[in-house]
Amino acid sequence: MFVGKRMTRTPVTVTPEDTLLRAGDLLHVHRIHHLPVVTQGNLVGIVTGSDLRNFALKKAAAEIAGEAMVAGRNVGDIMTRDVVTVSPFDTLEDALLLLHRRRFGGLPVVEGKRLVGILTKADILAAFIDTLRIEEIGVRIEVILPQSTKAIQKMIETLGAMDLEVKSLIVSPHQGNFAAFVRISTIDVASVRKRLRAAGFSVPELDHFLG
Amino acid sequence: MPGRKPQPPIEGICYGTPLPRDAILRGLEKLIGERNLFGAELNPSILKKEGSEKKFLVSKVPSRRRLLSRWESIFRNLIVPDDLFGLLSARTQEFDHRESLFLFGKDRVIYDTQIHHGGEAVGELTLYFFSLYDRRFGLRGYLRGKRLRIVYIEHVRVREQSSGYASSLFRRYESLFRNLGFNEFRLKASLSVGKYYWAKEGFDCLDRSELRRMRDRLRALVRERGIPVREIEIDRLNHAYDFALFRRDAKIPAYRNREGYYSLFRDEEFREEFHFPLGKAFLLSSSPWDGHKVIYTNTPRKTGIVTSGDYLGHRTRTGHVESPRRLHTIWKEIGKNGLHESLISLEPYMPDREFLERIHEPQYLDRFRAAVQEGKRTFSTRDCSIGPGSFEVALLAAGGVMAGVDAVMNGRVDNIFCAVRPPGHHAGKATAMGFCFLNNVAVGAVYARAAYGAERIFILDWDVHHGNGTQEIFEEDPLTYFCSLHEHPSFSFPGTGRRMDRGKGEGYGFTLNIPLKPHTGDDEFLETFDREVIPEIESFRPDLILVSAGFDAHRDDPIADLDLTVRSFVHMTRRICEVADRFCGGRIVSVLEGGYNGASLAASAVAHLMTLQGRREPCSSESG
Repeated sequence: MFVGKRMTRTPVTVTPEDTLLRAGDLLHVHRIHHLPVVTQGNLVGIVTGSDLRNFALKKAAAEIAGEAMVAGRNVGDIMTRDVVTVSPFDTLEDALLLLHRRRFGGLPVVEGKRLVGILTKADILAAFIDTLRIEEIGVRIEVILPQSTKAIQKMIETLGAMDLEVKSLIVSPHQGNFAAFVRISTIDVASVRKRLRAAGFSVPELDHFLG
Repeated sequence: MPGRKPQPPIEGICYGTPLPRDAILRGLEKLIGERNLFGAELNPSILKKEGSEKKFLVSKVPSRRRLLSRWESIFRNLIVPDDLFGLLSARTQEFDHRESLFLFGKDRVIYDTQIHHGGEAVGELTLYFFSLYDRRFGLRGYLRGKRLRIVYIEHVRVREQSSGYASSLFRRYESLFRNLGFNEFRLKASLSVGKYYWAKEGFDCLDRSELRRMRDRLRALVRERGIPVREIEIDRLNHAYDFALFRRDAKIPAYRNREGYYSLFRDEEFREEFHFPLGKAFLLSSSPWDGHKVIYTNTPRKTGIVTSGDYLGHRTRTGHVESPRRLHTIWKEIGKNGLHESLISLEPYMPDREFLERIHEPQYLDRFRAAVQEGKRTFSTRDCSIGPGSFEVALLAAGGVMAGVDAVMNGRVDNIFCAVRPPGHHAGKATAMGFCFLNNVAVGAVYARAAYGAERIFILDWDVHHGNGTQEIFEEDPLTYFCSLHEHPSFSFPGTGRRMDRGKGEGYGFTLNIPLKPHTGDDEFLETFDREVIPEIESFRPDLILVSAGFDAHRDDPIADLDLTVRSFVHMTRRICEVADRFCGGRIVSVLEGGYNGASLAASAVAHLMTLQGRREPCSSESG
């Protein structure tokens, strides 16, 4: 999956000349945390909720101490200029790892210098929900099976024999085995579990659900 | 039985346990001594209407042994003969009974009297008391000597200005006979005004096919006279009472003869013209019908049941859990518990497409019908197995809830259980899933609003699965509160119904989802129910409560993972009856949804019914 497919295409942006007050308002109104800073469509920086908060705290502390005020009233004065970006043709995994390792909340998406979108944690969550089809009709069942494609094939055949509609399927390692998370859309889950157990698979009781 | 102390009286002088034989005998002797008790048989010539002979051939008193055995078989020795005689002939409103007699026939006890008012004879009354075996009791009932106890109103005639007395007399009699364990009044509505009067008093046709014939005749009449009545209005006449109150706005002429009989056509004999409401005129001029009225044995509330053999016509594939057998087991359990003696049984009718289309998209209904007509085996998903009759039966299920709404909203019953299938709460505006095709409860809700003006409707869904269809239909409607208790969506079909879903737009705050972890038991479940659901109903103040009553949260149910027992269903029913009493005159329409283990389904449904009747002991929140 590519970043371009999952990013938000019309991000809310500011210019370096915008006031900090306006930036704060935008974050509040749109319930967002990241504002790419743009001049004539080109990305020149980014300002986040944390930047604004830190600046405000520093300013308050300086006033109490009676020190000379740190200069700056505009976005351009406090924005981060050295921005980590991704391109629409980077994969979602790249973005995921960047967000995770560098502890970012969002990444501007650029083609060359031109801003074309933004990818935040919220977009990743949406991708997760859509991929697993959590919002759709269906129930998840969990099946433990040996780590072999033969076993996976047998499980699929068992499900196929029941003519089930499979909504999503994830297979991941689990204590030396595979745990398959299958989302199926049938009301009669109990008989599906029974059939899987009869076919020799281990289907955990709900008390021991893996998560 | 010597040494056994009679239990406290139920009311007045009837007892909860049989009285000793010598007390009965003393009462009989007293009546014989006062020349109020004889042996008698019906005069056969009276049946042939030959002249004005005596009604009975009075003979000498039968042997004491016979008298005692007859008294025991009919009245179970719950009352002493002279006490009953006194209660039957008690003077009220200046009316008294004179020349009253107890006559002992072969299989019955007859009470015959003349009604006087201010020293003037104003009418007569003859009652038969007898018992008979009813097929519905089954073989076991037969072997145990279970019998239906019947009060047959053989004859009652009072002057027209005293008809108020007759009504009050029968109200008094009804509670008296209830305490004596009688099950039914029966009569033949053949006299002129009687045909209308008894229907208005709640008597229904003993033979259901008679009702069908009445509908046909009314339909013909309406067509012939060109009276603007829609087909559906006649279809939903389900009880003689409905006929009596039918279309009071449309008056038609009726003609009376000298003897007080009515006809809809004027001729030599029927000359005197009157204008009556359509239903009244129709009944007055109808042919005689056999009527019966259930005496509500020990049930504080009048509870109805809507069900029909036609529901078996939705045949799912072999091995499918939503099978016709589900209804069979419920019916059997109802019979075993003798509930049909006290339930008012109603039949569903085919609903108007108009009401269905308020819920479902017309194209969806067409697609469903087409799938059935083309002989497809499933519709939309594999769960939704269909057969040749499925479309009509699904409509009839929605019509069953409409019949239930009719009965509750026009006051014929206090509350009602609609044992319908297929279930409905997963069906959305244009989706079938989870064994559901049409959303029966939703159709009932819009019908109650459109036809009876019920504004605020609370839908409680305690099926183990989330009622996603009902939620989808009403999530933007602030006047229809949808509350569902179900197994948590991460573990159970349909995977919706999370706590954060509270409705949309104007309807925000009028949807409440209460997901429960797998293996939740009675205590935790009921604690949640009392804490979260009841206050919501109280603050919503509904005009009508609808229940999507699935019984698949029972621990024996194969399809889901909650560990409830019958206790939970009894408790919840009890609680909603209480709030319904406070806010909406006790009006509850409960609709069967899921429940797939025969034994637990039947036991839970019957417990639910008995609690609706107010029979089960009131429960405290600790004991359930």
